[in-house]
Amino acid sequence: MNSKIINSIKQFVIAVLTIILALAVGAILVWISGNDPAEAYTTLFRGALGSKARISEVLVKMIPLTLMALGMSIAYKAQLWNIGANGQLTIGAILAILPGIYLGLPTVILLPLSLILSIVGGALWCGLAAWLKNRFNANEVITTLMLNYIATYFLAFLVYGPMMDPDGGGFPQSKVLPEAYHLPLFSAQMRIHGGIVVAIIVIIMMFFFWRTKLGVKIDLIGQGDKIATYAGVNVKKTVMVAMLISGALCGLAGWNEVYGVQYRLLEGLSSGYGDIATIIALLGGLNPLGIVIASFFFSALLVGGATMQRMTEVPYSVVDIIQGLVIVFVIARTAIHFGWPQKLLRKEKKDA
Amino acid sequence: MLSSIFTVGFLVSLLAGTIRLATPILLPALGQIYTQRAGILNLGVEGTMTIGAVAGFSAAYKTGNLWLGLLAGMFFGMLWSLIMAWLSVTMRANQVIAGIALNILGAGTAVYVYRIIFGVQSLPPQVTPFAAVNIPLLSKIPIIGQIFFQHNILVYLSYVMVFVTWFILEKTTFGLKIRAVGEHPRAADSKGISVAGVRYAAVLIGGLYAGAAGAFMSIAYMNLFTESIVSGRGFIAVSVVIFARFMPVRAMWGALLFGFASALQMRLQALGIDMANQLMLMLPYVMTIAALIFASKKAEFPSAYTIPYSRLER
Amino acid sequence: MDNLAVSMQGITKIFNGVKANDNVDFNLRKGSIHGLLGENGAGKTTLMNILYGLYQQEAGDIYINGSKEEISSPIKAISLGIGMVHQHFMLARPMTVVENVMLGKKSRRGILLDTKETAAELKELADKYKMNIDPYSKIWQLSVGEQQRVEILTAIYQGADILILDEPTAVLTPQEAEVLFDMLRHMKADGKSIILITHKLEEIISIVDEVTVLRDGELIGSKLVDEHTTKEELTKMMVGRDVLFNFDKNKKAPGAVKVELKGLSASNDKGLPALTDFNLTVHEGEILGLAGVDGNGQKELCEVLTGLRKADGGQFLFKGKEVINQPPVFYINSGISHIPEDRMSTGLALNWSLKKNLIIKKFHKAPFLKYGLLNQKAIDAYWDKCQKEYQIKAISGEEHARALSGGNQQKVILARELDDHPEMVIANQPTRGLDIGASEYVRQKILDARNEGAAVLLVSADLEEILQLSDRIAVIYDGKIMGILPAGADTNTIGMLMMGHKQEEEA
Repeated sequence: MNSKIINSIKQFVIAVLTIILALAVGAILVWISGNDPAEAYTTLFRGALGSKARISEVLVKMIPLTLMALGMSIAYKAQLWNIGANGQLTIGAILAILPGIYLGLPTVILLPLSLILSIVGGALWCGLAAWLKNRFNANEVITTLMLNYIATYFLAFLVYGPMMDPDGGGFPQSKVLPEAYHLPLFSAQMRIHGGIVVAIIVIIMMFFFWRTKLGVKIDLIGQGDKIATYAGVNVKKTVMVAMLISGALCGLAGWNEVYGVQYRLLEGLSSGYGDIATIIALLGGLNPLGIVIASFFFSALLVGGATMQRMTEVPYSVVDIIQGLVIVFVIARTAIHFGWPQKLLRKEKKDA
Repeated sequence: MLSSIFTVGFLVSLLAGTIRLATPILLPALGQIYTQRAGILNLGVEGTMTIGAVAGFSAAYKTGNLWLGLLAGMFFGMLWSLIMAWLSVTMRANQVIAGIALNILGAGTAVYVYRIIFGVQSLPPQVTPFAAVNIPLLSKIPIIGQIFFQHNILVYLSYVMVFVTWFILEKTTFGLKIRAVGEHPRAADSKGISVAGVRYAAVLIGGLYAGAAGAFMSIAYMNLFTESIVSGRGFIAVSVVIFARFMPVRAMWGALLFGFASALQMRLQALGIDMANQLMLMLPYVMTIAALIFASKKAEFPSAYTIPYSRLER
Repeated sequence: MDNLAVSMQGITKIFNGVKANDNVDFNLRKGSIHGLLGENGAGKTTLMNILYGLYQQEAGDIYINGSKEEISSPIKAISLGIGMVHQHFMLARPMTVVENVMLGKKSRRGILLDTKETAAELKELADKYKMNIDPYSKIWQLSVGEQQRVEILTAIYQGADILILDEPTAVLTPQEAEVLFDMLRHMKADGKSIILITHKLEEIISIVDEVTVLRDGELIGSKLVDEHTTKEELTKMMVGRDVLFNFDKNKKAPGAVKVELKGLSASNDKGLPALTDFNLTVHEGEILGLAGVDGNGQKELCEVLTGLRKADGGQFLFKGKEVINQPPVFYINSGISHIPEDRMSTGLALNWSLKKNLIIKKFHKAPFLKYGLLNQKAIDAYWDKCQKEYQIKAISGEEHARALSGGNQQKVILARELDDHPEMVIANQPTRGLDIGASEYVRQKILDARNEGAAVLLVSADLEEILQLSDRIAVIYDGKIMGILPAGADTNTIGMLMMGHKQEEEA
């Protein structure tokens, strides 16, 4: 039987078990907080999937999460630890909104223009970290992280300062985008917007990505600098390209948030997405299908969790804890999946 | 405007603030020196500090004793980092992701615990923080006294620990083991040293310091607990360690540099110089990147940095 | 038994179902130097690792100085007076000599390090054996030979009377090896007992009193070594048949010059010169064997020829055109194949499937890339073809490269590098770490490539291999060519060149 299929099934089962385990712990925590786990989880479930409107909420959340997770997966496959998704989203959003607020272009030009700007913004912000790594051997974990904070404060600077909406009552937000620029909604009752088309296109492209020349190169540099160089791959150039694409997808998520959901810049635009996207990328095994599924799960968790918080006394932090537990279990299992203890077990058997 | 900056009063308060604000970066950095020297990159310091903050605050509030709060922070910080040790050393998982995961988990857990203990209150509970301790005689010296000798006791302790850390790493058998384990774990293993044991210890020590630093935030620096009380200091501490090439005294200078940036930003803001407040807030992070550029060129990382160890691997 | 420092009886050790040691006996007489001889994979290091407490045997007993012992860990071994110097040094580079020695030892000052006392004692010991080592120097400042002496010094300092040396001359120049041997003789005179693990016959004959030969995990025999012992009889014991595999080398006149290196110079990773005024030509349809002790510039040469290292000067002419300092992909596209020295970190992507490893250099070309995507059918077909032709033993092409044995991994690399009828083949230590069967296969394949017209540069520390396969033999020493000899040249002459004596002008 095709071992690839067996492997995928194994991965899937493990992921499901992980989630169940985390939910179980969550149930205990709910109970400790003096609430009824059954009620909590029902509210959560209904809050996520209970109606068309709810499901559309989940889909709306899925868009940025999936885009970012796909972006992360490209970097992670190459063993490039890009944890700057939030910052890349933010910069992408900032660049994207500028023409919308300050230039009066026809929609049919503006939307593609802003989309391109968001991609450029996110790409450059991540590319900067790649350049620092290539040129100075600067650890990309720290640089992308620092760039996150810098982007966040830059956004704050803009919305408290030069870009603040004069009619906004002093709130840290920019002017609203004219309605013409808002991404079309599919129906009046639901928030699901045209951005989903972009997301779907990207997802479809990602299904083929790892079989393209570039995808194979990126995969290869994740195997080791030595073997990649030996095989003729220009490692530094590929590192840069991988990070540019990674950042581009996160910037695209920013475009989505601004043109599809918020219609303006505001403080905390990227809140929380980046960390969750990291979890989704890993839980999904760095492959597009897994990422889409994991993204659905987490979006549901977040949306349902917000409902749960509104309608019950259960603290929202339980949702955070469940997320954290999932990732902890995943990486404990990932170590086994990616072969480390397995290699160990193989050699340990030698001693038997 | 400029004239109000260049007064003695301003400079004194700036420098005193530098020392004080450097402390919540210095403390976790010192702990991380042990951890990183042993070869483990623990990005979960941020979450550990948050756990320390909530533990310290809760204990101090419930018992009325600040020292118990500090101890609680240290204890739970250590306990929390046990998870990181397990993931990095025993499970040999990817250390970067493990650290990030523990941050998420830590933030959530801390907020949850706070909620369980204190419930939802309109007025957030507060404690009376550690008071400034004026060192007799020395604190009376004009200017110098105000800058150096009028801090709370935790600040003093932190700077003492700089020397203690240096001493332990360079002059004791334990410090030697830590360095060896980070440099050449196989060699240490062949001399009968438990690589796993030493690494666990190093991570736990890091957690101890981080927990102490977290408690410092909630019961000395401020007087309450909020979800974002740590706001990136854990990550800056990790960067400081790399920037300082894993040496305690250099880490102290690094922490002071960041303390200076924060202190400057606060004092300028207080003076009404609202000159792009947020841009000033960016300063520590920009400096970290600059620091990395200069440090990484020499790349004097412990050779086994972030590489899990297995006796049987070739 | 009284005069035996070590007696190992009936030792059996099993790894993953394979008997690495099968009922082996080993006796070391006090005050002697005992050689443990065998091919790669014969079980020598395993046996000694058991003696040093790194592994525990499944069956058999160990007696140290007459009493039975359970050696459960290196600490126990050290307490019994056993010391081991491994092939790969166990020294932490940024730390000093004395710090490395103090590691793991109980300090006289409790938790504080007793650096001064230890350093003084080390100096005394070092001077006694004329080792010339400053205890406060950092490891990275020492030469390889000096580092090895630190390892030996550490073992003796810890009280070793029984010293195990694992392939000590693998990393030494011939002069350093002589210095080592002098030191060993001195120690023997001092009453120490020494075990020398080696696969080099010259060492056995020159310094060893008694030799034990292992083959495929089994004890073949032990015998005293004297001036009558010949390399032939030792080899026969090691290998089990007469040496010099009969390779059918049809004598051909050398073809056109394919590769010309003139005045090539390059530096190593430390910035020191590795190749100086290096000159060499390789012809079509010939195997040029490059003999030399490891570390004389072979690694850097192969890297320059494949674009993995920048040359500082000189010319590299390929088919008459200057091709120096191009990126690796250029040489790959020019038809230069490279079988790298380190197959696991450089030659293969261990977590990739065998199928993908096979096309690792050509995934961007047709037929493997069709309409911009990997063409799985073509990849599968290629794997099937190569697996049959090169007899690669694997469950399926989807297996990770990591899972294969060394020999089969090398076969994958051979298939990849030789299948396309390359213009030039650079084979660097192609049979290192392989058993006899795999080695034979690899050598035959290299010969086949030569017969098909490739220019083959064979770099090997294994002189037998060079002698078997080469049409011409060049000797490298200190980054230069010492001389070029025809096939069938005398081993002694080659050895002299390897040690740096320049070739006499031909009459």
